[in-house]
Amino acid sequence: MPFIELDHVFFSYPESPRLVLDNLCLTIQAGEYIAVVGANGSGKSSLLRMLNALRVPVSGELRIDGKASSCEEGRRAARSAVGLVFQSPADQIVSSSVEEDVAFGPENLGLPRAEIVARVDSALAAVGLAGERRRASHFLSAGQQQRLAVAGVLAMNARCIAFDEATAMLDPEAREMVLRLMDGLVGSGKTVIHATHDMSEASLASRLLVLDAGAIVFDGSPEELFGEGRRAARSAGRISEAAEALGLPDCAALAVALGLEPRIRESAASLAARIIARPSATGLALRTDPTGHDAARRPARASPEAYAFELKGASHSYLRGTANETPSLRGIDLDLPLGSMVAFVGRTGSGKSTALQLLDGLVAASSGKVSAFGLDLADPRIDLRAPRMRAPLSVQRPESALFELYAGDDVAFGPRNLGLSGKVLVERVRHAMEETGLGYLEFRDRQTRTLSGGEKRRLALAGVLAMDGDALLLDEPTSSLDPATKRSILDFVGGASRRGATVVMATHSMEEAAEADLVAVFAEGRLVASGHPESIFFDRFDPAWGLRRPFACEVVLALEDLGFPIGARPLSIPALAAALS
Amino acid sequence: MKGIEFFRNVSIGLYKQGDSYVHRLTPATKYLWLASLMLSGIASSSYIGALLPLALCLAIGGVAGIRPSFLLRGVKPLLPILAISALLQAVFSWPGDTSTVLFSLGPFSLTAKEGRLVLMTAIRTLSLMTVIGLFTSVTSEGESVHGIEDTLAPFAKLGLHPQRLALAVGIALRFVPILAGELESIAKAQASRGANFGSGRGGPIAKARAYLPLFVPVTIRALERAEILAEAMEARGYAEEGRTRLASYPRQKGESLVKLAALAACAASFIIDYVFK
Repeated sequence: MPFIELDHVFFSYPESPRLVLDNLCLTIQAGEYIAVVGANGSGKSSLLRMLNALRVPVSGELRIDGKASSCEEGRRAARSAVGLVFQSPADQIVSSSVEEDVAFGPENLGLPRAEIVARVDSALAAVGLAGERRRASHFLSAGQQQRLAVAGVLAMNARCIAFDEATAMLDPEAREMVLRLMDGLVGSGKTVIHATHDMSEASLASRLLVLDAGAIVFDGSPEELFGEGRRAARSAGRISEAAEALGLPDCAALAVALGLEPRIRESAASLAARIIARPSATGLALRTDPTGHDAARRPARASPEAYAFELKGASHSYLRGTANETPSLRGIDLDLPLGSMVAFVGRTGSGKSTALQLLDGLVAASSGKVSAFGLDLADPRIDLRAPRMRAPLSVQRPESALFELYAGDDVAFGPRNLGLSGKVLVERVRHAMEETGLGYLEFRDRQTRTLSGGEKRRLALAGVLAMDGDALLLDEPTSSLDPATKRSILDFVGGASRRGATVVMATHSMEEAAEADLVAVFAEGRLVASGHPESIFFDRFDPAWGLRRPFACEVVLALEDLGFPIGARPLSIPALAAALS
Repeated sequence: MKGIEFFRNVSIGLYKQGDSYVHRLTPATKYLWLASLMLSGIASSSYIGALLPLALCLAIGGVAGIRPSFLLRGVKPLLPILAISALLQAVFSWPGDTSTVLFSLGPFSLTAKEGRLVLMTAIRTLSLMTVIGLFTSVTSEGESVHGIEDTLAPFAKLGLHPQRLALAVGIALRFVPILAGELESIAKAQASRGANFGSGRGGPIAKARAYLPLFVPVTIRALERAEILAEAMEARGYAEEGRTRLASYPRQKGESLVKLAALAACAASFIIDYVFK
């Protein structure tokens, strides 16, 4: 008998006619490691929630060990057999202490106390949190909170753990830790299902499902979609447009760009060896042209005379003057040139967000000096609204701050505060919306709450763009988005930068950081390095930062290790491919 | 100071971790002490009776290793209210008040009776805030929630659901910092688009108006967060009936005596009241 079986499952929400899951048939055996990919709104979350019986099919049937989830017995079987780990680490914590949070599930099962204690012990040990059992759960780091969520479902003796984009909000280090945990779970015989937007993560699974508009359009191995089997699967017509649009993992993308056969989970070193072995690679070592594609791509900016932002010994503490005072920034010295594109990188909690808010006068420095466009933000005589509107900040998940009923009005909020009205206002709103890919006529009268997640993010960014400031401050603008939406937001950020705006962006993606003119690395509230991305990733990179090098950079370093310096320092896959061909 | 930080105003969770005898008492005992000391603080009509809870708290705080200043931290924000109540006593007179006038200024006068009332109010406030200060510093969030469950357990027969109530209180406590965080993030998003928060400018009406655009998104976010939490609980098989509990609070040696002492303290304040009337 199969472990989990979906039999012609249809699902839609009562208030909407759209089918969220459309005639799904799927069989999952115990011990499988499955990745689920697909654009925002393709039905991944609904599928995962259905496995746990949080959603019940409108028609069709879900069976766990042969028991249908529509009956009470089957529902209970699904709840304890399949555990869910959600995207936002803090949102799924139920209790105030670590051990009590893990105990929540077993308590619901009505287990005797001794049994609960034993299960909590073994679940915490399995995720490596045994030392934290008495801590307050909200004091854990984001990565630890995700491991806590896993412990919570392990304590219910779940045989399958379904991760719903559970790595999307984590920094690179925490991400790897959660991925290793998934591997460990599979090794111990658990079934793991991982919904993700990251194709490199998806290729770690042994089976891959692609969802498009609620239907499974691909069900096969990652090798077929991303690797050696790609050509055969393609010619058999097994790779649909939707599956194609997801893109490839970095290693496969580079291999394809160089005309090599893509291989999944290939390390930079192995790919470097294959690059050298190419028949056309004979001249590789001889190439010493220092102006590689990457350097040529970016117009060299004249050394700046003026700075958009200057931080001199700036420090900041949260809850200052109380017993729980927590320093968040310590003595930051950083000058950001006018018109530059700057990336703030670092672990979660390293001070990136606070630094952005400091630049915008949203938090005040407890010591040191912060100036924006030559204005000292601590000067008691200034109205902080002026510098804020000159450098509007998009906070994390900016869509949660949307408040007007209609989309167009929300974008107009900022320009109205600037005193605009009439035609000028309309033009400003129109321009900002079109720039972020939301057609003005189509979207201006749409109700904000009816927009999709990606559209809301774009609308929130349009609201910031409509300020027409001299700078844009963006806190993780692409987090939790699918690859296509991510790309469109990066395009518009690049556009703003090319038009001369100073852009400062906090990000967990090193590929995004590599596109900047200046990368500032934060660790524990200190600025530990800042400079051009080439120098940060090639020369000064330190594993202690908890970051990863972009894949292209790793391949270049691997080529150098093999005695084939390429004479250029590309940081992106297209740039590296261009430098090599 | 300029800048936006709503978290500073959230004072819940000032639990002082410790392993003293007082900390180890079961939550139900702590609730009993809280109730009896508050009762004696509110009901006594003599200075000494109303001062008794304050004195006991300072003594118990000493055993628990908590400084008096930490216990009294809740008093300071109430000082303006005390001042206003003193002022009202001075401005208005009690009908048939024949006690001696302590001092007078134009039409305003403070009589001995009014002076006594002002002093009593001050002592009661001081006592009550100390009692609450002591309770919150030796009782963790989890304990205060489980304490509700244990204290109200006998009432389950009357149709009350102590577990459900305790869970609701626990979640409400957890949501205070969550909502403060959401509010802060949304206020920052609006402020950077020109809304008037922490800019150091504008009159009180302009400042109040700036809060209007916060209302809709904060409400929506609160509901979203509640829904996410409900889903997370549901996914882990939340059951209203037949739940068991990990947390157990072993009774300390002499705990029954400590409970009796709470009742005795309450009784003592009433006896003192009677004697010193």
